[in-house]
Amino acid sequence: MNFRSSVEIITEWDIVAARQLGRNEAKKAGFGTVDQARITTAISELARNIYLYAGKGKIEIERVSEGGAFGIKIIASDEGPGIPDLRKVMEDGFSTSGGLGAGMPGVKRLMDEFKVSSEPGVGTIITTKKWLH
Amino acid sequence: MNKIMVEGINKNMDEIIERWITRMKEEKGERFFHFMPDHLVEKTSREFAVLMTSNINESSAANTERISDFTEKVVRFGWAIKFVNKAIDNFSDVVYEFLEEKEIINESNLRTFNLIFRNWINPLRESIIDAYSTEWERTVSLQKIALQELSASLIPVFEKISVMPLVGTIDTERAKLIMENLLEGVVSQRAEVVLLDITGVPVVDTMVAHHIIQAAEAVRLVGAKCMLVGIRPEIAQTIVALGIDLHEFTTKSTLQRGMQAALGMTNRAIVEVEAN
Amino acid sequence: MNARIPILKLNEVLIVSIQWELDDQTAIQFQEDLLNKMHETAALGVVIDLTPIDFIDSFIAKVLGDVINMTGLMGAKVVITGIQPAVAITLIELGIRLNNVMTALDLENGLDKLYKELEA
Ligand SMILES: Nc1ncnc2c1ncn2[C@@H]1O[C@H](COP(=O)(O)OP(=O)(O)OP(=O)(O)O)[C@@H](O)[C@H]1O
Ligand SMILES: [Mg+2]
Repeated sequence: MNFRSSVEIITEWDIVAARQLGRNEAKKAGFGTVDQARITTAISELARNIYLYAGKGKIEIERVSEGGAFGIKIIASDEGPGIPDLRKVMEDGFSTSGGLGAGMPGVKRLMDEFKVSSEPGVGTIITTKKWLH
Repeated sequence: MNKIMVEGINKNMDEIIERWITRMKEEKGERFFHFMPDHLVEKTSREFAVLMTSNINESSAANTERISDFTEKVVRFGWAIKFVNKAIDNFSDVVYEFLEEKEIINESNLRTFNLIFRNWINPLRESIIDAYSTEWERTVSLQKIALQELSASLIPVFEKISVMPLVGTIDTERAKLIMENLLEGVVSQRAEVVLLDITGVPVVDTMVAHHIIQAAEAVRLVGAKCMLVGIRPEIAQTIVALGIDLHEFTTKSTLQRGMQAALGMTNRAIVEVEAN
Repeated sequence: MNARIPILKLNEVLIVSIQWELDDQTAIQFQEDLLNKMHETAALGVVIDLTPIDFIDSFIAKVLGDVINMTGLMGAKVVITGIQPAVAITLIELGIRLNNVMTALDLENGLDKLYKELEA
């Protein structure tokens, strides 16, 4: 029903492809430069997490409308190891890879809606949305 | 059949309206009928009655222009949608009872009248509620725009020094707009020091403080300094009481003092010259 | 292969102007190149201009932060210039503050700041 595009994340270069796609979609959807940067950054975080922690996965970008509001939805999904403690990864500074631990809590702040579901051994799906104001 | 009913209603309009007003006054939680001057209540009620009866004659849909005029009015009066619905119910009840009293409606034509009533009230209710929600959405979005326009702009005062006066309550959405205006302004005005004047901000809670701190940090990243001025005594009290740490920022009680400090930071000062 | 980020030397100062979107490899390569160049030239300061960059994620931010810290360890001062408003906002929302670095509006201001700092 809605326009949807996706990028498979397998190599490091796919992170670049995903965020470029995201920026283009955000621009086409009518987001301003600051929101474009927010969306691009969020995609970069999610794509890199897939690459680092799950090995491979997928970023999907979709235009959505709900009750008169228009926006962009990003779905990051993988069949990796899953996240054992969802509360922990949402804390600023928590990282299992020596990173800044800014990715997950950062995406939540950059976007308007944020939802994670993850099952150890099965994989992780993160859905996040940004609305046009 | 319709004709008798229309005649019956029109002839007794005054009494119908009066009864309807009495009922509306009994409704809880609505101040309009008690609070507003009588003549205004009378006028609005009449308009409502005209609106309600405007489509009995025609089998066609209700007069949309009249409906949207009226709903615009009641939205402005602050009628809740529940109340509008109640007004429609009461009106149709009053008319029904009245027609029964006058024996225009009786055992023999009850069925027919029920049908007429349904065909009369239901589409009308739908259009009114539809118009109401459209009007309400419009009002909300207008208010939102008005609020955003309140959101500050950055004023270049001297070379390298700009001021942003903040006025009114700051919520998350406004805070984002303020931040964007502030940063775009710093870059385009090539400001080295910006003074954020919070004299006009009524309450500084942790949320507002958090946004101010973020704004100041972002200003630092683009390469300028942010100074917080206009801190009233009660604001200083709440800031300390809430345990908000503003130590990393230069703060000044007034815009004047802030401006002096900003001039100092950019190696300048105000000097008095002798008049001649 | 990836293009490398050019590092220019001006007196005791190194100037880096990042002209395009950084991918991970380029960022890491840059970190290495800059440290080597610092060592070679015994530079006292570095200005990194980010004017054309329209987004920075936590990875690039970490590389930058590491560069800043390492440069400090080698006894040089760093100024970052030209961070765009949209980039500043996303950095703050990510929770990244780059506290231990000087900033300036553009390359010119950055050089001024650095020279003043070096004189002091
Ligand atoms: N898709 C995923 N599958 C499994 N684990 C994940 C996934 N995404 C994140 N994690 C876990 O959550 C932790 C926090 O992620 P987050 O992105 O917040 O920080 P980081 O990646 O460690 O560092 P940064 O993003 O700041 O470079 C990661 O260290 C990792 O353990
Ligand atoms: Mg991450």
